[in-house]
Amino acid sequence: MTQSVDEIFEQICALIKPFNNKNVPLNKDTVFSVDLELDSLTVMDLLSEIEDEFDITVPLNMLPDLETIGQFTQAVQKLLSE
Amino acid sequence: MREPIPTHDTTLPRRLADFGTLLEAIEYAAKGIRGLNFYSPRGELETSISFKEIAKKSQEIGRRFIHFGIKKGSRVALIAETNDEFVCYFIGCQYAGLLPVPLPLPTSFGGREGYTAQLNQQMKSCGARVAISASYMLPLLDEATSGLKKMKFVGTSDTFEAQASLKEIKNVALPEAHPEDLAYLQYSSGSTRFPHGVAVTHKSLLANCHGIGNEGMDLTEDDRVVSWLPFYHDMGLVGTLLAPIANQVTTDYLATEAFARRPLQWLKLISKNKGTLAYSPTFGYDICARRASPTKIADLDLSSWRVAGIGGDMIRSDVLTNFQDTFKDVGFRHTTFVPSYGLAECTLAVSFARKNTGFEIDLIDEKVLTGEKKFLKEAKVNGNGVNYRNVVNCGIPIAEYELEIRDDNNIDLGEYQIGRVCVRGTSVMVGYFEDPEATDSCLSEDRWLDTGDMGYMKEGALYIIGRVKDLIIINGKNHWPQDIEWAVEQLDDLRSGDTAAVSIPGERDEEIPAILVQCRTRDAAERTAMENKIKDTVHNMIGISPVVALIPPRSLPRTSSGKLSRVKARKQYLAGDLVFNS
Repeated sequence: MTQSVDEIFEQICALIKPFNNKNVPLNKDTVFSVDLELDSLTVMDLLSEIEDEFDITVPLNMLPDLETIGQFTQAVQKLLSE
Repeated sequence: MREPIPTHDTTLPRRLADFGTLLEAIEYAAKGIRGLNFYSPRGELETSISFKEIAKKSQEIGRRFIHFGIKKGSRVALIAETNDEFVCYFIGCQYAGLLPVPLPLPTSFGGREGYTAQLNQQMKSCGARVAISASYMLPLLDEATSGLKKMKFVGTSDTFEAQASLKEIKNVALPEAHPEDLAYLQYSSGSTRFPHGVAVTHKSLLANCHGIGNEGMDLTEDDRVVSWLPFYHDMGLVGTLLAPIANQVTTDYLATEAFARRPLQWLKLISKNKGTLAYSPTFGYDICARRASPTKIADLDLSSWRVAGIGGDMIRSDVLTNFQDTFKDVGFRHTTFVPSYGLAECTLAVSFARKNTGFEIDLIDEKVLTGEKKFLKEAKVNGNGVNYRNVVNCGIPIAEYELEIRDDNNIDLGEYQIGRVCVRGTSVMVGYFEDPEATDSCLSEDRWLDTGDMGYMKEGALYIIGRVKDLIIINGKNHWPQDIEWAVEQLDDLRSGDTAAVSIPGERDEEIPAILVQCRTRDAAERTAMENKIKDTVHNMIGISPVVALIPPRSLPRTSSGKLSRVKARKQYLAGDLVFNS
C-alpha cells in the first residue's frame, strides 16, 4: 500500500508531538533545529522513532539536506517507494 | 546464525604493542584468529574480518595505491564509516607508505554546507591526493572536493579497485616502513575553519597503544572491546581500532549513527558478547541512562564489563552516578568506571584512573579555582557556606610520560597547585602537519607539549579543570566558563551547548564577561525576559552583570570534534559575525 505525502506528513507530525514541548504549530516548513528547538541528540531520538514507525533506514547522507518537516516527509516517501 | 570472531586465542601469545610499526603489529595479529566484528543498527552481525584477512586485503590495497601512482607520503582522505573497508584502506595506506586522513560523517539534520566546507578545509589543509567514500556519500564528497586541484582520485573503493586487475598489481613492490615515519593525520583538534592535522608517527602510535594495553586496560586473555566510537575521532581510531590491532584484541563495533539512535544497542552487545572493555565520553553514558527503562534493560547482563572508560569531554560525576544507579541491577559495577585524560596531540591517552576503584571526586574550594587561595591543601572540605566544585580524578599518567603542572613562567608547581598541564613523552605528536606556527605555539624545542588544559596533581593523580585559554579573569578572580555556562543552561528554554562564556574588553579595557546564548525565539518580549534572567543568574554567581548576546541557533563555533571553541566564539562575536539577520 502506498501512502500519500499528506498521510506521511500527518504520521510524522504525530511522532513529533511528544518532542514538541512548546506546542509549535507544525507545517511543512517547520525547521527541526530552529522552530522545534531539537538538539542533535533529541533529533536522533526522533529519527529512530520515525524509522521504526515506517520500517525504513534513513541513510546518513540524507541528513544534511533535511532541515524541515516537509523535506523529511519527502525523504520518507522516497525511501518507502524504493 | 553466524558466530562472531572469538575473544580467546590460545595459539598466539599476546604482545602489548611492542612493535616498530603498525605493519609489524597487524602482521603479528594476523598470525592469530582474532579480528573485528561489525554489527547492524539492530544488533545483527553484518561482517566479521580476522586480522589475517585485514592484512591480506590491506596489502592488495597498498599495491593498488602504488600502481595508481600515488607517491609515498601522500595524504589519502577516507570518509570514516564504521566498517571493514575503512580498516583495510587505513592499513592499506600503511603498506603503500601513504598517510590516511580519517574524515567525519554527517551527524545531524541539516547543515549541508557547513559539513562539506569542513571536509573541504581538512582536505585542503593536508593537500589530499585521494578521497574515498561509500557510494551513497559521493554527492557530498564531490561537493567537498570541488576546487581541490591536488586531487588525483575521488570516488568509491569499487571504482578505485576497478582501476587495475589483481594480476596487474601482483608484482608491485611495497615500501618498508620505519618507526619514525608518519603513519596518519588526525583532525580532531583545532577549529573547524582552521583545522590542524595532528601528525602521528608509528613510534608515537605504538607507544600509546602499549600504554593503553598495559596500564590503561591491563589486558587479560578474556578481554573484548565493544565500541560505537567513530573512526574519525582519536578515541575511536586509536582507542578502539589501532590499540586492539596492536594488542590483538577482538572488537565488536556498532556504527556511531546506530548508537546515536539506539544507544542501548551498545549495552546489548556488551551483554551478548561478554564485552569487557568499552569506552565513551560522558554524554554516551548520559543518553544510555536517559533511554533506559526497566523493561528495556531487564535482559541485560553487564557483569562482564571490566573497564568502562570515560574521556573525550569534561567528565561529569552526576551523569556517572545516574548511569550506575540505572544499571546496577543488571550487573553494572560502579568500580568499572575508569576516568581518563587524553588528547589527539598525545596520540590519544595520557592518564588512566586506577582499576577497580570507580570514579573519585575531589571537592575543591571555589576560592582555589578563582585564584584567591593558592594551595588546594588549604581548602578543607567541611565548612558550610563554602562553595565547592566536583573535579574527577583522571588517574595516573602512563609510564612513558613526564608530566608537569606549570605556572605562567613555566615553573613546575608540583602537587596541590593549579597550573597548565604539560607533558613530554614518546607519544607526543611530532607536530601539526605542515604548520610550524601552530606547532610552535604548543610544543617547545625540548619536546614539552602544553596541552592547553588547566589542572592539578594530587598524590600522583591528575585532575583536569578546563582550558587555559578560556579562563575569564574579572577583578583578579578566575572564573571557569563551563561553570557559568552550566548555570545559564539550567534556565528554562536553554540547554546544554547553547552558551559560551567569554571575556571581552570593556570601555576602560577591563575584562567583562560576555555570555553568548543561542536563542531560538524572535519575540522581542521573550528575548528581553531571557536576557534579564541570564544577567541575574550570572550576577548572582560572579557578582558582576555580564553582557548578554542572543545569537542565532547553532551559530556557536565548534572544533571538528564538536567541542565548543570559546576562543573562536569570542573572536567572531567581537568581529560582529554572531548576529541575527533581521
